[in-house]
Amino acid sequence: MIKFKLNGRDVTVDVPDDTPLLWALRDELDQTGTKFGCGVGQCGACTVHVGGRATRSCITPVSSIAGAEVVTIEGLDPAGNHPVQEAWREIQVPQCGYCQSGQIMQAVSLLKDYPNPTDEEIDGVMGGSLCRCMTYIRIRKAIKKAAAAMRQETASHG
Amino acid sequence: MGKLEQIAARQDKAAGLTTSRRGFLLTAMGSALMFGFAREGKAAQLYPASATMPGNGAFEPTIWCSIGPDGTVNINVIRAEMGQHVGTALARIIADEMEADWDKVQITQVDTDPKWGLMVTGGSWSVWMTWDQFRQAGAAARSVMVEEGAKLLGTTPANCVARNGRVIAGSKSISYGDIVSKVHPTRTFTPEEMAKLPLKPASERRLIGKDVKSLDIPAKTTGSAIYGIDAKLEGMVYARPKLPPTRYGAKVVSVDETEAKKVKGYIRHIVLEDPSNTVPGWVAVIASSYPAAIRATDALKVTWTPGKTANVSEQDIIEHGRKQIADKTGGSCVFNDDGVDDAFKSAKQVFERTYTCASVLHYQLEPTNALARLQDGKWEVHCGNQWQSLFLPVIAKALQVPETDVVMRSYLLGGGFGRRLNGDYAVPAALISKALGGKAVKLILTRSDDMQFDSFRSPSIQTVRVALDEQKQPKGWEHHASAGWPTRVMAAAFMEKGADGKPYDQFAIAGADHWYDVGPMRVRALDNDLASDTFRPGWLRSVSSGWTPWAHEAFLDELAHELGKDPVDFRLSLLTAKGRNAGKAPDSVGGATRQAAVLKRLVEKCGYGKTSLPKDTAIGIATTFGQERAMPTWTAGAAQVHVDRKTGVVTCQKIWLVLDAGTIIDPDGAAAQTEGGALWGLSMALFENTEIVNGNVRDRNLNTYTPIRIADAPEIDIEFVESTEKPMGLGEPGVTTIGAAIANGVFNAVGIRLRHQPIRPADVLKGLAEKKSA
Amino acid sequence: MPFFRVGDASAPFRIGGRVIKRLLSGVVGAGVLGGLGFLYYAYYPAIAPITPPSASSFSAEQIERGRIVAAEGYCAECHTRTDNGGGPELAGDYKMETPFGAIYSSNITPDPEVGIGRWSEEALRRAMRYGVSREGEHLIPAFPYDHFTKMTDQDISDLYAYLMTRPAVHMTQRPNELPFPLSLRIGQAAWKLMFFTPGVYKPDPSHDDLWNRGAYLAEGNAHCGACHTPRNLMGAEKKGSVYDGAVVDNWIAPPLNEHNPTPTTWTEDELYQYLRNGVAPLHGPAGGPMSPVAHRFLATVPEQDVHAIAHYFADVDKASERQKHDKAALELAMEQSKKDLIGPNVDPDAKLYQGACAACHYNAAPSPVLGRPDLALNNALWLDEPTNLYQVMLHGLTAEEGQSGVAMPSFYNALSDADMARIAAYLRRTRTTLPAWTDLEKKAADVRKTVKPIPVNSSH
Ligand code: FES
Ligand code: FES
Repeated sequence: MIKFKLNGRDVTVDVPDDTPLLWALRDELDQTGTKFGCGVGQCGACTVHVGGRATRSCITPVSSIAGAEVVTIEGLDPAGNHPVQEAWREIQVPQCGYCQSGQIMQAVSLLKDYPNPTDEEIDGVMGGSLCRCMTYIRIRKAIKKAAAAMRQETASHG
Repeated sequence: MGKLEQIAARQDKAAGLTTSRRGFLLTAMGSALMFGFAREGKAAQLYPASATMPGNGAFEPTIWCSIGPDGTVNINVIRAEMGQHVGTALARIIADEMEADWDKVQITQVDTDPKWGLMVTGGSWSVWMTWDQFRQAGAAARSVMVEEGAKLLGTTPANCVARNGRVIAGSKSISYGDIVSKVHPTRTFTPEEMAKLPLKPASERRLIGKDVKSLDIPAKTTGSAIYGIDAKLEGMVYARPKLPPTRYGAKVVSVDETEAKKVKGYIRHIVLEDPSNTVPGWVAVIASSYPAAIRATDALKVTWTPGKTANVSEQDIIEHGRKQIADKTGGSCVFNDDGVDDAFKSAKQVFERTYTCASVLHYQLEPTNALARLQDGKWEVHCGNQWQSLFLPVIAKALQVPETDVVMRSYLLGGGFGRRLNGDYAVPAALISKALGGKAVKLILTRSDDMQFDSFRSPSIQTVRVALDEQKQPKGWEHHASAGWPTRVMAAAFMEKGADGKPYDQFAIAGADHWYDVGPMRVRALDNDLASDTFRPGWLRSVSSGWTPWAHEAFLDELAHELGKDPVDFRLSLLTAKGRNAGKAPDSVGGATRQAAVLKRLVEKCGYGKTSLPKDTAIGIATTFGQERAMPTWTAGAAQVHVDRKTGVVTCQKIWLVLDAGTIIDPDGAAAQTEGGALWGLSMALFENTEIVNGNVRDRNLNTYTPIRIADAPEIDIEFVESTEKPMGLGEPGVTTIGAAIANGVFNAVGIRLRHQPIRPADVLKGLAEKKSA
Repeated sequence: MPFFRVGDASAPFRIGGRVIKRLLSGVVGAGVLGGLGFLYYAYYPAIAPITPPSASSFSAEQIERGRIVAAEGYCAECHTRTDNGGGPELAGDYKMETPFGAIYSSNITPDPEVGIGRWSEEALRRAMRYGVSREGEHLIPAFPYDHFTKMTDQDISDLYAYLMTRPAVHMTQRPNELPFPLSLRIGQAAWKLMFFTPGVYKPDPSHDDLWNRGAYLAEGNAHCGACHTPRNLMGAEKKGSVYDGAVVDNWIAPPLNEHNPTPTTWTEDELYQYLRNGVAPLHGPAGGPMSPVAHRFLATVPEQDVHAIAHYFADVDKASERQKHDKAALELAMEQSKKDLIGPNVDPDAKLYQGACAACHYNAAPSPVLGRPDLALNNALWLDEPTNLYQVMLHGLTAEEGQSGVAMPSFYNALSDADMARIAAYLRRTRTTLPAWTDLEKKAADVRKTVKPIPVNSSH
């Protein structure tokens, strides 16, 4: 029995300790927004937040995040309106969409570290997130747009 | 309602799902995108049936669309959604012609049913193939609305106009929904009747060509979009294959499950018997969870006798192709014009070059998977697929049941790129379910399984020759291409007949049948049987047009330099639009003049030949007709490259593309497809390839397979020529010019010709060294 | 550090197989010293057993002080079983692998039969100060009495109060798997004769109180040298190489003195954050055996004690002299951090690093972001061997380790030995200024073999 917090709620899963967090989320907790791409930590499709930091769930044993706070794409914003999600829709980033949960989770954490990211910072952090549909140019644009929106939000909320 | 809440709700009371779940899904999808199969109460991940499906009082003039009493317009889409926003584009066509209120439009991605006819999504065909049919279907709905609306408004149709979901007569108007709920129209149209309906002129289009938010996108930003891999049924078990050492001919000798049995959750293994011979030598491992299936498969020991191709290498296949090309007799000719041989015999000079391309893997991000079960006497296969019509019969054959007993449920595709035209991954799921008495079983290939089992792009070898006359003008042309033929292997009935009456795989030669005027042409396709014996060749984004133009466009460039001509002027001089290159209505009006036009526009834009660039940096140019001669998307591409003489690394700094695809339905979607295509072209030119080693691909994951990532993506400038001609495809043409443009750019930068794709630093260094010593 | 009876024979915990082997052979060799005088030296009488004292005989304040002493000596780390689903705290049976077989730590709960319930305070003091059990047996220095000897009577007395008020657990450790003659107790006495100087810590008047407090803890109860000072052939800490770093449990315990190779200095502040929170902004998170030192123990003691240890080591590593180079080092690291991640790249090794690591480890000037440990600044890349880099790649970090609440995945199944070697070589050549590591693939395989249990979390 492994306990952790998922999208703000206490959850318990009864799986072997070494079960990848990815499969615990998808199969035990029905959070299928997190995707299986490469399974070896190199495509970013399975990215979730653990303790607020982007983490590849496919190679993270669920036991290693016992007690931690996990947020998946489903829990990023109650209405799916995180500024990054909004920018993604505005710029129409997704094509097949399969990588995009991971891209969004990675982008959100990028913006925590670099609220006003340059192209270099975007490339540096997002380089681990593969998009086979090659939506890269729009990802760059959308991140900048979200960053601007978030800055405005902070400004207006003082 | 989020999924967590649902889990909680389920824990409280499993049966309480219906209303809330439906509410959630409708919101999540913005009520815009539906999947058409009936949902069963306990299925965790399926979409609800549309509220306006026929039978709910909706008016359905054709099978393609319906109008509900609440005004909702439902459009049935038989094309797979894999990122091209195809549903949105197609819905725009009907909605425009119908004068529907776009905010009330929803899409249903339908399951297989014979009534839909050929279900295939590929070749960039969807818009082009659907254009006439959907405009007619829209016109049918509009004409009934106007007719019935006029009656309700107490006037005649002639006094009415339809706009934005309403029929308007002067100051009075009535909505489509009200018309349906008051009159319950039942009129239907035969295809013949539809063909006679008057269509709106281009000037009256209100949705086509205008920006639109794609209907599939919102769910893809919240995690609520459901792909094949997300499909889930109560009580299902998981499976993973244990793959044989060769794609064909491997036989299971023995299976030792001692270690696998120690894995908690392991259920059993099954040696698959496959009458369709799709998955020979497969052993499936069944477990109660997917991680358990992964582990148990790793632990299961299977010995095989491998098939006869166990030692084949990439080089063997290329060399086999080289021999085929050297042999004048084999293959089939797309063009085999009178006088080719004479032209070469009497030529003043013959110029010939040979080009090779490496194997390329699909690496669609969602690994292949399928869920199968027997339900109410029917075999259901849940998965994302691009060519349902092709694989339904194969699944039926594997199961030894009539085709009518098999149905494929449609899901979003986590990338297609041609991989899922081949539905081979659905077969083992069905076979496993059958072995388990029809139990629901979900087969997922791990990434390494998926790559090993890929129907990848065959390595290829091409030789292009030109016969030159005294004036150094081309007067005869030959293009010979050898590669594995996916269409022969998987869909032989779809092969085309060559000039010589012999069938050939148009997807292993298209692109070589270009629109240049170079005298009589022979374009010969050769089926590399060593390739198709070794693996299952696949269709991969832009199929042969991903590699044939690489040959003729690099060749033309080289030829121009050889003849001391400017490569652009030289091309323009050959785009005369004479004879068969004049084009014809409706698909290729204007012919090669349109190709010349995009090339001219491109040159203007990118400053080719005018801009002065830093040392070892240059722009290369190429032009194509997109995907297929019968559906030309006139394309011109330029790449600015830099060559690092020390490391041999080629960097692409910028890409320009100008395309004439006729009418553009969804401009932003068109741009997105073209961006993606261009970057695929770049990736295959400089970043990714695999190699066949010991009868299978060398790469099994991203540790060695290296498609481009965000930092590799250069700036891209895309322009579409304004046009009201029939729309052509855009899913793939973006790919077609890039490889050659880069190769030509490398020559312009440092003066070396590279004839293998991808261009590897070692080849560049070798080329530079040879040039120096020459 | 565990507290072993000689009769159990044994080996120093956390000193790795190689050191244990040396220690034991030294012990056997010492047997030939013999002689009557030696026997006299080696003889300690048993101290009479007592009736276990009642909990009420200790004040709450004293017990609390004892809790801090126990935490600062990490008693629970080696006296609590971790395999077989874990065991009750302080009840022993912690398993240590040695090349000769496994050995198990003893029960230090106040159980009268199998624990230390019948030990008087004097017996505990003698054990701590002289390495001798209540029964008069020599304890081997796996129990680091060479450090504990420096503890004050007061601290030992408080520790006694704490231990005697823990719940008694009637649990015996599993029998050791060591063969004869490695268990000869007389050898321990010989070892002591050669390497052990008993005596309470004496404050150094040339330093202030904070420094002396730090030195007292570091040299004594916290026994930092047990892991961070290399050992001689006989398994004793080398006098001339104090805090030069050593191999421990298949990890490298890095140098704590000026030989520490990280590009930026371990300043008092960096050390404090590391010891207190398990992560230092310019050095990264504590992994492996160091992680519990921070999280399980030093996080629970008075802040001032952690400051004292940090203050002391900032002096040991000569931070004030070395700090002036930090600015340039940081600038260089920030340049190195983005190498190959900006703009197109076709180097397969860089691509592997980009895919597997960079999303979390890329940093931009002026300074690394907390939670993005910069590898160009990290010990693991600057040590003589890739051991720690490999360990972290293979294990990852759980949410409890390193920076609390965040986790690093385990690449055990995601990267082959060849992949790990590529990443290690790549990082060493692009993120440091040091010579290349050698034999990387083989070393990856070696470290992989030490990872237990095998994390079968693969999804290929
Ligand atoms: S699936 Fe986890 S990184 Fe690719
Ligand atoms: S949108 Fe398809 S993989 Fe990124």
